Amino acid sequence: MVTRRSKPRITVATRRALWGWVFVLPALAYFAIFSFYPIFNAVVLSFHSKSVLSLRPPVFIGWRNYTDLLGSAQFWNSWKATGLFTVGTAVPLVILSLLLATLIVSRLRLQRFFQMALYSPAVIPGVVAAAVWLLLLDPRGIANQWVNFVLGMTGIDHRWLASPEMVRISTILVYLWGKLGFFTIIFIAGLGSIPNSVREAARVDGATAWQLYRWITLPLLRPTTVLVSIMATILCMRTFSTQYLFTQAGAPREPINVVTLGIYTTAIRDHQLGLASAMSIILLLVMFALAVVQFRVSREAP
Amino acid sequence: MARSERHGARGGAAIRTGRSRGGRRSAPRSWQERLANAAGWLVLLIAVGLVLVPLVFMFIASFMPSRDIMRMPFSWWPDSLFLDNFWQAIRGNDGKFLFPRAVFNSVLVSGSVAITTVLFATLAGYGLTKLKFRGSGIVFLLILSTLMIPFETVMIPLYVVVTDMGLQDSYPGLIIPFLLSAFGVFLMRQSLLSFPDELIDASRIDGASEIGIFFRIVVPNMLPVMAVLAVLTFEGQWDNLIWPLLVVQSPELKTMPLYVVSFMDEKSTNEGAMVAVAALASIPMLVIFLSLSRFFLRGANVFSAGKE
Amino acid sequence: MKSELVPAIIWFLKFGAAFAQVEVVYWTHEDPNRTSLEERLITEFEAANPDIVVTRVTNPADQLAQLMLTAFAANRGPDIFNMDISNQFPYIVNERVAPVDAEAAGFGSAENLLDAYLPNMLDPVVHEGEIYGLPLELTNWTIFVNMNVFRDAGLDPLTDYPTTWEEMMEVADQLTIRDGDIITRRGFDFRYPWYLNFVVPMVEQLGGQLVGDDGVSGAVGDEAWLQVLSYFREWGPSGRNLGAPTYANARALFNFDNNDIGMMESGQYQIARIGIDNPGFEPGEGWMIIPFPQWENAVADVAEPYYGHYWMVNAQSNAAKQDAAWRFIGYLTQHADEYFERVGVLQATQELVDSETFRNHPYSDVFMSDLAKANVIYYAEDAPRMQQLLQDAIEAVLLQNREPADVLLTLREGIERTLRGEY
Repeated sequence: MVTRRSKPRITVATRRALWGWVFVLPALAYFAIFSFYPIFNAVVLSFHSKSVLSLRPPVFIGWRNYTDLLGSAQFWNSWKATGLFTVGTAVPLVILSLLLATLIVSRLRLQRFFQMALYSPAVIPGVVAAAVWLLLLDPRGIANQWVNFVLGMTGIDHRWLASPEMVRISTILVYLWGKLGFFTIIFIAGLGSIPNSVREAARVDGATAWQLYRWITLPLLRPTTVLVSIMATILCMRTFSTQYLFTQAGAPREPINVVTLGIYTTAIRDHQLGLASAMSIILLLVMFALAVVQFRVSREAP
Repeated sequence: MARSERHGARGGAAIRTGRSRGGRRSAPRSWQERLANAAGWLVLLIAVGLVLVPLVFMFIASFMPSRDIMRMPFSWWPDSLFLDNFWQAIRGNDGKFLFPRAVFNSVLVSGSVAITTVLFATLAGYGLTKLKFRGSGIVFLLILSTLMIPFETVMIPLYVVVTDMGLQDSYPGLIIPFLLSAFGVFLMRQSLLSFPDELIDASRIDGASEIGIFFRIVVPNMLPVMAVLAVLTFEGQWDNLIWPLLVVQSPELKTMPLYVVSFMDEKSTNEGAMVAVAALASIPMLVIFLSLSRFFLRGANVFSAGKE
Repeated sequence: MKSELVPAIIWFLKFGAAFAQVEVVYWTHEDPNRTSLEERLITEFEAANPDIVVTRVTNPADQLAQLMLTAFAANRGPDIFNMDISNQFPYIVNERVAPVDAEAAGFGSAENLLDAYLPNMLDPVVHEGEIYGLPLELTNWTIFVNMNVFRDAGLDPLTDYPTTWEEMMEVADQLTIRDGDIITRRGFDFRYPWYLNFVVPMVEQLGGQLVGDDGVSGAVGDEAWLQVLSYFREWGPSGRNLGAPTYANARALFNFDNNDIGMMESGQYQIARIGIDNPGFEPGEGWMIIPFPQWENAVADVAEPYYGHYWMVNAQSNAAKQDAAWRFIGYLTQHADEYFERVGVLQATQELVDSETFRNHPYSDVFMSDLAKANVIYYAEDAPRMQQLLQDAIEAVLLQNREPADVLLTLREGIERTLRGEY
């Protein structure tokens, strides 16, 4: 009788798990160096005071950056600007893209044309989009001319880039223009994945198109809707280049001084790295919290 | 679940993509349905029209001298084909004809980033879905959480990391911070969730290595989604202004957005050159987009597949 | 053996000479006139100093500040650079730039250096007793007038030009052409967004201050500030609609004489640019220059502040590079006359200002008389923040039609917070 020594053998499952780690390793390494390390750095820096140009090491000041920010009118104003922009953009974005997707999907022809046409602004670099829109929204530009035409007036300057309300609307408009196509395509894909059998069953039971939509399609579309609204919210909170390029071109800063622009300004213009880091960490926490909230809410409702 | 149940039922205004199989509707449409249909067309046409106006404006205005662009009222028909704008756009404000170089730089950087992102994201996605290991859930969440990190948060520490490596003002410096994206990992993972396990198991039984399986079985079947990711990543990087703004110091290394921005400086209001540059800067992406659109739209289905 | 040694030695010497060369990197902003001048000067300097190589890099002016910042933040700044003093001051305070080596620069001593320039022109770069930069350009702004626009509006530019702010509003209104609300020709436009340049002197003329003498109080002198804020409110679209920051910058339009701008603010360098952009647009018949207006009830005669671009040397460059850098800069300063004639920038040396060239230059007397009435621009580490606060205040009254009293309170609080070091 031969007794086999119980040499530990690597099981198939273990070997596969090891391969799993190998496959994931490049990604993990990358994120460790280029995402987590800088964030860790930013967190640490947020408790210090450091001028970008200073050769001295950062000075530990505890919570002072955070208390300074929370007591600053400018800080709250930037959150107001971001909040207004996010709500003002994400909500229309979700609703309009859902509407357009529904319409496109019910066409028998030109579906691809519509999708591509709507998506094409996304293909234009952000800098280019801002440049073109700045011309359109110039007092002498087409935006004024067309709105006046539609409203039957002449010579009225709607102050697209001058009055605070209008400049907010302008940034929302530019952003919607750029992102609508993307989310429409996502919704179309979502709509396409709804099985027809369910729809047919409801139709046979005598449901109208509207009832069908309201009680069958929309609920089944929920995962897509949640995905879209979370993505839209995150993207809107991270908006930067539209506001940056507009203010560079002379638009008033205060109404559109979103948080990301504030971070950039604090670091690059005011040279205050510690403060900018604190602002970034606050932004990160808020975005995280919002995503979690949206996710939870979407799970609860039947 | 979703796709396999498409029976292509006839009748009614059933919502489905693609042509209706099997011909005409069985019931005539009511006037309400016809009205709704017409309204739908109207809305779509208006939406598309509005969306396309800035693009059309951009292309038309690039053929007009600056005076005419800002003229009130704007005339959509250019008086003549004014080509000087393009000349100025290519020549650049400094007269160095760096436009082709800027295009090359952007293509190189965006292309490299697209390739590496697709490669590593697919690898990671496969590892997370098909090679079960403890902690894969946590790893995925960790990676996903980086999506919420605004670039401005990490911008300066990242800059310090990159300069410590000596990579500022160089191609690696432009490429390396963007080798991967969390969105890419998310996308590939989602689409790989519904990849049939049988195929993989069959190859394993045949004795293929994991790497072999990956490159010979998985990748060829995931090409549409990979194309989507490639296009999106390329686009995103083509568009990137803020990182090159920090890292690029020599004019020869400028990417497209930096080149465009140089036409927007405060001292010149050369609207003609600005739109010409804008138009030229948009063309490469539009061409790529149009040629890959077939893949793109098909691959977009990944967003609906396999929700957890 | 000897015959092989000689070429080897020659080769070694050449190779060694290359080793001994010092490379100096010089960053500056784009200016086509200055580029051609400096490239020539570099060639001459390198010929006279074979051990030095100068590499010149240009960048657009509005990106230069950020590029400089990120380069220095990574400890890889250029050896020589220039920016305007508001951007350069933090570099002095943080000890990133080296004091002027007066000897290498050819001045002999620090006293000679100070004497060579107009009094007070080096003040912004003097810190704790050391001088940290040499002027490339010292500028103050006055008002440029397009005489053709005046004539087109039925006014005589030589007699009808405004000398007070009250007159300015009237004259600008007469020169403005509108299509409904939309302005197609502006009478006068302020030089947005450089609020520290044009708002502060308007306030100071009335006895107000941006920052009080105690260094703690902000927006001192309520009546002065309220008068200025009300003026801008009336200037804007809700008042007499004479212009706004969102219209194209006047300075980009003026040279082309396209009947779209009547008057604007700029410096002497603009004259050279007009010569390049539009040679037919001549001083004395096409355009002219007038002093900065004063209020009717002004208590102090103050013109727009002067600011400067200074050549500075990176403190982290090694000793050989710093020495080479100062020698190069010194060489550049010896050509102040060419800088003035060909580029239109004033290095404000005593010699240049006394010269015939300068005195024959169009309207240099107006610039000089305004310069005599000018304070130095507000420069401090928080200067950009102050400018932003002024911008917010002016935009609030001009574009949003808010009450000057409320706006003043917000402005004051912002300034005082900044002075305390709070966000």
